[in-house]
Amino acid sequence: MGAGDIKQFQRRWQQSIYVEAILYAVGFAGGIYVLTHNVIFGIIALVVSGAITIFILRPWQVSQEKAVAYIDAHLPQAGYSSGLLLSPTHELSNLSKLQQYRIAQQLQPVLPKLTPPHRLFRGALVMFGLIVLGLAGSFVLTKLGSRSGESPSNKEQITFAPKDSLPTTTKVPELTGTKISIQYPVYTGKATQYTTNPNIKAVQGSRVVWNLEFEGDVRTVQMDLMGSTFDFTKTEGKYRLSQNLEASGFYSFTFKDNSGNDYVSDLYSLEMVTDEPPMVQIEGLDNYSYFEFDEDKSLRFNANISDDFGITDAYIIATVSKGSGESVKFREEKVRFDSAIPKGRKSLQLQQPLDLDALQMDPGDELYFYVEALDQKTPSPNVARSETYFAVIRDTITDEFAVEGGLGVDLMPDYFRSQRQLIIDTEKLIADRPNISEKDFKFRSNELGFDQKQLRLKYGQFMGDETEMQAAAGAVSHEEGEAEPGSEEGGEDVLDEYSHKHDSDNEHNLVEEHDHGNEDQGQEEEEDPLHDYLHNHSDPEESTLFEKSLKAKLRDALNIMWDAELYLRLYEPKKSLPYQYEALEIIQEIKNSARIYVHRIGFDPPPIKEENRLSGDIENIENFDKQEAYTYQISFASTRAAISRLEELIQGETSFSDSDSALFMDAGNELAQKAISEPLKYLDVLQGLRDLEKAVNRTTDNYIMVQKNLLSVLPEVADNPKQKAKYQDEINLLYLKELGLYE
Amino acid sequence: MSDGEVFVNQGLFWPVLLIGLLLWGVYIWKEWPQRTELRFWIKLIIAFLAITSLAMIVLKPGVWEKSSNGKGIILTEGYRPAQLDSLRAIYKRIPQEEYVTGRNLTLLDEADSLFLLGHGLASFDLWQVAEKSVAYLGGKDVEGWTQLSKNDELVLGEPFELKAKYINPQAGHWAVLTDNGGNPLDSVPFEEQAEQNIILRANPKTSGQLVFHILEKSEGEILSDEPLPIHVVEGNSLKILMVNTFPTFETKYLKNFLAERGHEVLARTQLTKGKYKFEYFNGASNPIYGLSTDNLQDYDLLIIDTDSYLGLGSASKLAMEEAIGSNGMGVFIQPSESFFTQGKGRTPFNFNRDFSTEITLGKSKQPLQKYPYTFQEDLRTQEVLVDSVALAAYIPIQYGKTGTTLLQNTYQLVLDGDEALYARIWTQVLNSIAKEKDKEVEWEGITAIPRPNQPFEFELRTMLGDMDIISADGANIPLIQNSVMPTKWTGKQYPRKTGWNQLRTSQDSIAPFSYFVFDDDQLESISESKTLETNQREFGSENTFTPSVSETKNGWEPISPLWFYFLLLFGFGWLWLEPKLAP
Repeated sequence: MGAGDIKQFQRRWQQSIYVEAILYAVGFAGGIYVLTHNVIFGIIALVVSGAITIFILRPWQVSQEKAVAYIDAHLPQAGYSSGLLLSPTHELSNLSKLQQYRIAQQLQPVLPKLTPPHRLFRGALVMFGLIVLGLAGSFVLTKLGSRSGESPSNKEQITFAPKDSLPTTTKVPELTGTKISIQYPVYTGKATQYTTNPNIKAVQGSRVVWNLEFEGDVRTVQMDLMGSTFDFTKTEGKYRLSQNLEASGFYSFTFKDNSGNDYVSDLYSLEMVTDEPPMVQIEGLDNYSYFEFDEDKSLRFNANISDDFGITDAYIIATVSKGSGESVKFREEKVRFDSAIPKGRKSLQLQQPLDLDALQMDPGDELYFYVEALDQKTPSPNVARSETYFAVIRDTITDEFAVEGGLGVDLMPDYFRSQRQLIIDTEKLIADRPNISEKDFKFRSNELGFDQKQLRLKYGQFMGDETEMQAAAGAVSHEEGEAEPGSEEGGEDVLDEYSHKHDSDNEHNLVEEHDHGNEDQGQEEEEDPLHDYLHNHSDPEESTLFEKSLKAKLRDALNIMWDAELYLRLYEPKKSLPYQYEALEIIQEIKNSARIYVHRIGFDPPPIKEENRLSGDIENIENFDKQEAYTYQISFASTRAAISRLEELIQGETSFSDSDSALFMDAGNELAQKAISEPLKYLDVLQGLRDLEKAVNRTTDNYIMVQKNLLSVLPEVADNPKQKAKYQDEINLLYLKELGLYE
Repeated sequence: MSDGEVFVNQGLFWPVLLIGLLLWGVYIWKEWPQRTELRFWIKLIIAFLAITSLAMIVLKPGVWEKSSNGKGIILTEGYRPAQLDSLRAIYKRIPQEEYVTGRNLTLLDEADSLFLLGHGLASFDLWQVAEKSVAYLGGKDVEGWTQLSKNDELVLGEPFELKAKYINPQAGHWAVLTDNGGNPLDSVPFEEQAEQNIILRANPKTSGQLVFHILEKSEGEILSDEPLPIHVVEGNSLKILMVNTFPTFETKYLKNFLAERGHEVLARTQLTKGKYKFEYFNGASNPIYGLSTDNLQDYDLLIIDTDSYLGLGSASKLAMEEAIGSNGMGVFIQPSESFFTQGKGRTPFNFNRDFSTEITLGKSKQPLQKYPYTFQEDLRTQEVLVDSVALAAYIPIQYGKTGTTLLQNTYQLVLDGDEALYARIWTQVLNSIAKEKDKEVEWEGITAIPRPNQPFEFELRTMLGDMDIISADGANIPLIQNSVMPTKWTGKQYPRKTGWNQLRTSQDSIAPFSYFVFDDDQLESISESKTLETNQREFGSENTFTPSVSETKNGWEPISPLWFYFLLLFGFGWLWLEPKLAP
């Protein structure tokens, strides 16, 4: 009986310690919850801190002995003998039994009233202290948070506010659950993301599903996305809407409760991240590579390909151009990389040798190639290509020049052939030397020298310096005439005889050919043979026939020709030959760089009846009428109107009406189009406009703020002539009339 | 002496006389037993005097005085205390009064010659001192904004320009022009100098009644904020006729520009003899073959190329001139090389050759092509400046205008992608030439800075005759018709509230007139400088009294009753003491 009391006391003691521990734990957990607003954290904190405090306080260590000692110390009635109560009666002496009985009697009324030692008060204080600390902490955090993220888009929860002021009795439906899931396109390999943050940023083509739960009666829920509205569907008390993300924008939710009140949420951003096309880079190769025909014609390069979500495929597109002029032919080939392309890799490094011979390229052919890569985007993948690289097998043999179909004038006449012909003739002369007489040799050498001069002169014409050259040429020719036995007439005949007319064959040319002898006829015929086809090139500096570098090259070629001619005239064709080759090379370069491709444009006029031509009969010609209408609207018309309207509202002359609501909505939609490119700049404005939908926000301060923001983002009015209104005073008119009379 | 009244309380004369005589009679009756003694007669005289003085106290006799009223000082805002002190040192006990706008000065009753100190009286209070001789001594110099001139009403798209003058600016401060929302539009730093003239420009973005602000700022702190009310109206689209002998790119681009911007354009291009291509944009209709007064009636602008202009038949030419002169139509001649070499009389313009074929505008790098001529300066030729370069000119011909340009191939700007510059040039050129729409009524506020409960004078010009003007609170405002110009009317109103106020007419078709009423603490310095100016104009800037008013005046002046009190006291004293002293 007495022992029971003590046990009870012991239990009470233990209980008070437990309670104390729970107080600490609750305080800590409460603080954490208030700080984080997260129930789970709170519960975890409760369990952990509860366990820790219980472990520290160790309530199980309150033993019966401890209880007895406490009772003995605090209750005089116990007479320091309460321990006896615990001992079984049969183990005690009689005196002890008596004492046990007496104490049991005396303790019975007082023991239940004895409170065990406890620190419950302290515990409660600590608990409240911790919670207050948590509150303070969360306050500081939100303060900091709102400072760090100033834009209203950082609100992580959807909040609604009524559009119009409500009678206080109305029960406002409350949003109890928000679940937003973002399903990324399959190819991205990203898992579906769940969030409550209505500001969404996702890859193009993602599917966004909003699940909203309301407490209270809600009639319809809608999403307003860039001016178009989408209805939520109701399933099992939840509202659900899914949208494919195809463009950035802003959206907000509206819902109607059963009594027809509108509620509107803040504006949230929907940001679409486009899937970037792959990046392709070619390394280890110059943009232009040249090969001699006898070299090892193979290209070696590294292709670095990277993509944000993965690469599907990559290959080389090689185009070979064969031939020149009109006969140019293109052949495109898709060259696969030797190594297989692993699908879905984010970056690849590929090596590929490209053998020009394998592409069946001959000397003179050109190869253009680039690397193309595709990513995994569906339905249509992004395609990216590298820069184009060129490879050319040098051609030293063909000098054929076809008359370009697209050009009216053959700017590159057959003179080019002459240099090669000269070389051939020179070589032939050198080979023939043992077999021919000295005189013959010298004659032929001199003759070749003359042709060389002739060639130089013709190039000189291209440079536009024929006057200077002609004067010189005349002199040379004169000397030559003298050097040759016979009259000047004869000299001319000799020239005629020995000049290689077939060299400068002009049958494909529109260029008028000078007779060689004409040069001797002096200045009267100084007419430029190309005069009819060219601009004025009389001044070498103004010659626009060739670009600067070409001119320099041609000048080089002419100088070299001088040397070639010199040695031919000195009867040393062998020494002349290297110069001739050099000249040939330069000329060929010039020829190649001046290659122009022009599309042939054809126009086939409709046939006209012969009898109607040029008759001057316009009877059947009628007036031509054309009617067209443009609807011109000043840019951001609604926004500008909204600003004017806000000004009126600020003046306080009128109050907010329904038409204003529509106007601000229009303005918002107008700006939203622009906001896509610069969301941050416009979000404040759009939010401000949206806020005006809510009755509580219709204050002058808000109007001013919204107006200021609108004005700051609005572009200036485009220039447009406008009619002004003016009062014409009769005196003014009289004055103007008088002014006109005395003009 | 005057024949008129002698006493102030003339009406009491007879009762007082009767009562006085009665009193004297009673006294005589009371003293009758002493009639044998000399003191009886003395007392009789003393009593008469006492009763008379009593009567005089009641009747208040006046004296016809020829003396001056003396000088007074009126203190107005901005007076210099040192000046006041020195005045007071010279004229001891000179009365002074502080002037409160709109309240009558009481000092004027006693002073004829007034020293006016400070910035002066409001223009509507000047009548108070009209009869007085005033020496206007001026006051402290006005500091801050003393002039803010701007175009009060502009068409949307036109630039807003503010010309301001600031006295005693501080280096490091800034003048900032802000829009009605408070966004800065333009700014100018102040320099250390006596006064600074500044020009601020901005383009209003919306129409309506807006209040721009000019701020004085120093390191982010706003030192002053003055409102600049402007009224931006939306202009109307033009109705344009384009006549060309053959199609040109210049015309094509100009036509597209105008049509896309919503103007009603009828473009006529000659195809061959008597056959035309008509293009109707935005509702234009009815082909025009020959120009006539009737078919030109509705057009605001005729754009015509040189060949067409010179090739106009005499009837067409007459019709065109009639349309310009009496209808106000604008004619823009698209020049060609031959236009500049026409003899005198063939075109209204005269040109000088300047041999330069290019012109560079403002910031643009691309020079514009022009004909190698400049406009000959003469009285009538008005140049159209774009970025202060004379690109075009017009000649007012009575009601309308004829204009042309020096530019050629401006469509090149569009091809180069500089459509904004193209639009700017043509907007300015055509705006200056196109017909201005007739207004029925022209309002004008005469009072520069209206303030609440102060008179706001306005002027109205209309051919419509008498009309009722109704203020915002429904009161009818009477108008005074100018006797020389019957179309000019003036009126006066006392606005009650600050901000925009409206005046309506009884006719609904006429747009109401809005004017901005400034608060007392707005535009103070400008008000002061305006008052200063008005007072200087009124009284002259010399510190002498205006001579027109004589310094002395004749008038009734009541005799001080003090004399009568003394007499009464003496009389009563004698009559009281005499029996005691008597043996």
